[in-house]
Amino acid sequence: MADEDETKEYRWESGYEKTWEAIKEDDDGLLESNVAELVARAKRKRAALKASGAIQLGMMRHLFVIVDSSECMFLQDLKPTRFLCVLKLLEVFVHEFFDLNPISQLGILTTKLKRSDKITVLAGNQKKHIEALQHLKDLSCEGEPSLQNSLERAMNGLKNMPAHSSREILVLFGSLTTCDPGDIQKTIKSLKDNNIRVSIIGLAAEVRICREIAKKTGGTYNVLIDDHHLKELILSQVQPPAVAGSIEASLVKMGFPGGTPTLNDGTSDSSADHAPAYCLCHIDSETSSLMGPNGYNCPQCGSRYCELPVECKQCGLTLVSAPHLARSYHHLFPIKPFVERAQVPDATHCFACAKLFVEAETNVYECENCNQIVCLDCDLFIRETLHTCPGCASDPVTAQMKTN
Amino acid sequence: MKLNVDGLLVYFPYDYIYPEQFSYMLELKRALDAKGHCLLEMPSGTGKTTTLLSLIVAYMKAHPLDLTKLVYCSRTVPEIEKVMEELRKLMNYYEKEMGMEQNILGLALSSRKNLCIHPSVSKEREGKVVDGRCYSLTASFVRARHAADDAVPICDFYEGFDAHGKEFPLPPGVYNLDDLKEYGQMKRWCPYFLARHTIIHANIVVYSYHYLLDPKIAEVVSKEISKTSVVVFDEAHNIDNVCIDSMSVKITKRLLDKCSNSITILETTISNMKENDSKRLEKEYKRLVEGLRDATIARETDMALVNPVLPSEVLEEAVPGTIRTAEHFIAFLKRVVEYIKTRLRVQQVVQESPAGFLRDIHTKVCIDRKPLRFTAERLASLIRTLEISDLTDFSPLVTVSHFATLVSTYTKGFTIIIEPFEDRAPTVSNPILYFSCLDSSIAIKPVFNRFQTVVITSGTLSPLDMYPKILDFHPVIMTSFTMTLARPCILPMIVSKGNDQVAMSSRYETREDTAVIRNYGNLLVEVAAAVPDGIVCFFTSYLYLETIVSSWYDQGIIDQLQRHKLLFIETQDAAETSLALINYIKACDNGRGAVLLSVARGKVSEGIDFDHHLGRAVLMFGIPYVYTQSRILRARLEYLRDQFQIRENDFLTFDAMRHAAQCLGRCMRGKTDYGIMVLADKRFSRADKRSKLPKWIQEHLKDTNCNLSTEECVQICKRWLRQMAQPFSREDQLGISLLTLEQLQSEEMQKKIQQRAQGV
Repeated sequence: MADEDETKEYRWESGYEKTWEAIKEDDDGLLESNVAELVARAKRKRAALKASGAIQLGMMRHLFVIVDSSECMFLQDLKPTRFLCVLKLLEVFVHEFFDLNPISQLGILTTKLKRSDKITVLAGNQKKHIEALQHLKDLSCEGEPSLQNSLERAMNGLKNMPAHSSREILVLFGSLTTCDPGDIQKTIKSLKDNNIRVSIIGLAAEVRICREIAKKTGGTYNVLIDDHHLKELILSQVQPPAVAGSIEASLVKMGFPGGTPTLNDGTSDSSADHAPAYCLCHIDSETSSLMGPNGYNCPQCGSRYCELPVECKQCGLTLVSAPHLARSYHHLFPIKPFVERAQVPDATHCFACAKLFVEAETNVYECENCNQIVCLDCDLFIRETLHTCPGCASDPVTAQMKTN
Repeated sequence: MKLNVDGLLVYFPYDYIYPEQFSYMLELKRALDAKGHCLLEMPSGTGKTTTLLSLIVAYMKAHPLDLTKLVYCSRTVPEIEKVMEELRKLMNYYEKEMGMEQNILGLALSSRKNLCIHPSVSKEREGKVVDGRCYSLTASFVRARHAADDAVPICDFYEGFDAHGKEFPLPPGVYNLDDLKEYGQMKRWCPYFLARHTIIHANIVVYSYHYLLDPKIAEVVSKEISKTSVVVFDEAHNIDNVCIDSMSVKITKRLLDKCSNSITILETTISNMKENDSKRLEKEYKRLVEGLRDATIARETDMALVNPVLPSEVLEEAVPGTIRTAEHFIAFLKRVVEYIKTRLRVQQVVQESPAGFLRDIHTKVCIDRKPLRFTAERLASLIRTLEISDLTDFSPLVTVSHFATLVSTYTKGFTIIIEPFEDRAPTVSNPILYFSCLDSSIAIKPVFNRFQTVVITSGTLSPLDMYPKILDFHPVIMTSFTMTLARPCILPMIVSKGNDQVAMSSRYETREDTAVIRNYGNLLVEVAAAVPDGIVCFFTSYLYLETIVSSWYDQGIIDQLQRHKLLFIETQDAAETSLALINYIKACDNGRGAVLLSVARGKVSEGIDFDHHLGRAVLMFGIPYVYTQSRILRARLEYLRDQFQIRENDFLTFDAMRHAAQCLGRCMRGKTDYGIMVLADKRFSRADKRSKLPKWIQEHLKDTNCNLSTEECVQICKRWLRQMAQPFSREDQLGISLLTLEQLQSEEMQKKIQQRAQGV
């Protein structure tokens, strides 16, 4: 990229990095917030939070991501600039988000010059979001951000979403100041009334109002230490949060549109279903063209969509496909947390990765079901990615039990 | 929790204790055991008050004969209220643990203004007016007149108290100002007089410094406090100035003009009385001849005029003949006032000793020392005799009478300075006579002599060895405690140069230099861009603040600053400043961020806490030396040098550094708080300045952070702020800076605490 060359900084322009201080041993008994230690602690915390199986998770999420694009986002304390770093991580986030929350929707806003701009509306198509994020890279960052304006805007987009879904806002806030037209306390109150959870990730330092917003709306507030930590923080938002307050368990009506023309499921008259039609997702845009026979028809009203999941514009039915739901399944039945053990003498290696336990490793983890021992890394991997215990899965008895 | 402090069972009302609190208790107990005075420094936000209270209450319970009373002196009403809250917590804990009512009476005392419940008097907003109106309703002659004539108004609440309140002591418990008022309302007794009456048998009294240090008040309020008391001066870093102020007098020309008016009023009243009721004047005369101090002095309500000198100096003799009759006294007063007026007619500054003044007044207007000494007392007697109920108009005359008495009583430790104009406006004639106390030990000496233990404590008392010198006492314990922290939550830095390597300093020679001013501006702008929420800046004086702000305006620095934060400025006007403060807090609360520019030694630097987000950073622009050209200061320095062998420079640095430390301490109000402290002056890194900072700040001031440029400072700030923003919970503190009982009793911790106690 042309402008990337311009923003590339020389070694002497960058901040003082006293790399030797990171490995400094602490004599006075103070906790040096070591990066590695913090990351590990955050990992454990997250795992612990997720572990309690009984909580209700908001699986159907509507999330607005607000990206600060004010002047301070051009600072180079994250490489190459704060803004580019954040955008890059957001791409990863969007991808992960839809991977883990297939029936959720996401929208993106930016805030600069005391205003807030809509980049994408709430939608379930990750390609579109990633594309929009890539376009954002050319955007200039200027002026001051406005927390209130952007929160209000996100709130307007979220407040009409169905009550059973989890409404969330994620703010990536680089500035230390916000320029608001009115009393932000009122905004916080209406956010709370609308059951919208605001999580904020600060890029510079702890700002009190951010902490207050997050605390009052039940979200989280974190400040990064470096770009690795930032990635950690952003990705921690991928997991669906526990439902705040009392959303009643309700049955949600969903439609499962028929797939390809060859696979006629017989829900409706096949010839009408596969006749060329305009896709309702793109009907507003000028580039929309007549669609071929591919697409998904709403089983209720027959509107055609080019992608799933989506909420039918005509009749409001949530349209999903079965694999989407299946992928969300593990949120409903998270695996039980593994028990932390001190080194067990008879277990010499990790069951999952077959790594030998060394002296330095103090704790190992045991699955309560199958009593297999794994290492910390595997524990986290199982929890975050695999969502199933290899010990239980390989044991025919427990595997049977689990499916029941 | 219940603690064992060196064999003493102490009830501590919290589940956790800081290690330094325990050390503090140990030291305090040693001082109490030795029946000596002590000087203890412990950072603010570490629970000094509750530590003091719980140890002393426990000591009182264990040794009821050795220690009967705690007198806790604080500075402001909110601070007094805070102490009462802590005391209440402690007493509740005692009750819970012991399972019965505690026989301890604690109460707060403040001025009439804060305690009055009289429907109309309490509406007044000025303390003096409330005092005056109270006097006009409760003075003994008013009440006597009321007995004769029902139309004369009196205060029902006082009457109620006088009739019943004295027999029934206040039931044990903790009474803050509001509780007293409520109790007063309920019983229809005057809370102020109830509180004053109760002081004698209360176990714990909390009031302001002046009730003990100012001889004018102490004589009336604190006379009967027993010797076996412990006196605590909290926030006592300025105690020497309080002592000096309580003995100093300032007389301006306007004041003297008002005096003449008051004298005329007195004159007419006397002549009226002579026609109507000459007996009373005669009676007064006789009483004065007999040398009896006025019998009615025992009447508590008549305290409005009192002798300004210390009790030991008051002469127990008859008033000299020359001023016994009212007319003679009036003539005498006139002469005194006229004499002072002529003295004020000077063209250049005059400085003389009290002895010189006495000689001069004797040669010029033939006034001897002896009658002069009785001026204050004689005036009080006269006003009482004349039954003047509105005293507010006489305050100028009272000031002059105080001056006359003081100048003729003390020949050492005082000086008289007459300035024809202010230094800043040499063309405007504005003559002022300063009668200035130079020796802070004069006012506090009776306190040290009288009470077995005096505790002087504050967050910033460094360097500790200066206080025993200037207050002239010998402490048995002198200790500075540091703050044990689980994370380095203060970041002191000395920034000595700007990015262009020009040294930053508020030295007189360079303070007008644009490069220096610009560098200060850039420092502020860059820090404002890196630090969230509130930033407080301190300048050395209002004058310096004004010049800097105006040149920042020209250099465009103000505009740059306002891109990041809103700007507020403290002024000499209290109302304006409090408005600025309110809006500053608002701006910090809603996330806009704000910068407050204020002045060391100003109102903001002394009384206002900027905890958490209100003060994420404090910037100290320059070293806050006092205005060294002031003649009063120079006289004091000279005196300190001659009497106490304290070098001028030592005292100046001490004074500057204690104010700097006060300013820096504004941003740290507890262990969960964190704040940056930037000392922007090259001279701070010199050993003599650095070593005078409190130990708890010095501990975190690393050598590498002592000679930074602006950008280095900002880099360090940024990294540190990110670290501080990481989640921090009680678990992190536990075992390091916060201890449970088990942890406290563990051998390892006991050893550490012992070491700490010895190390200092």
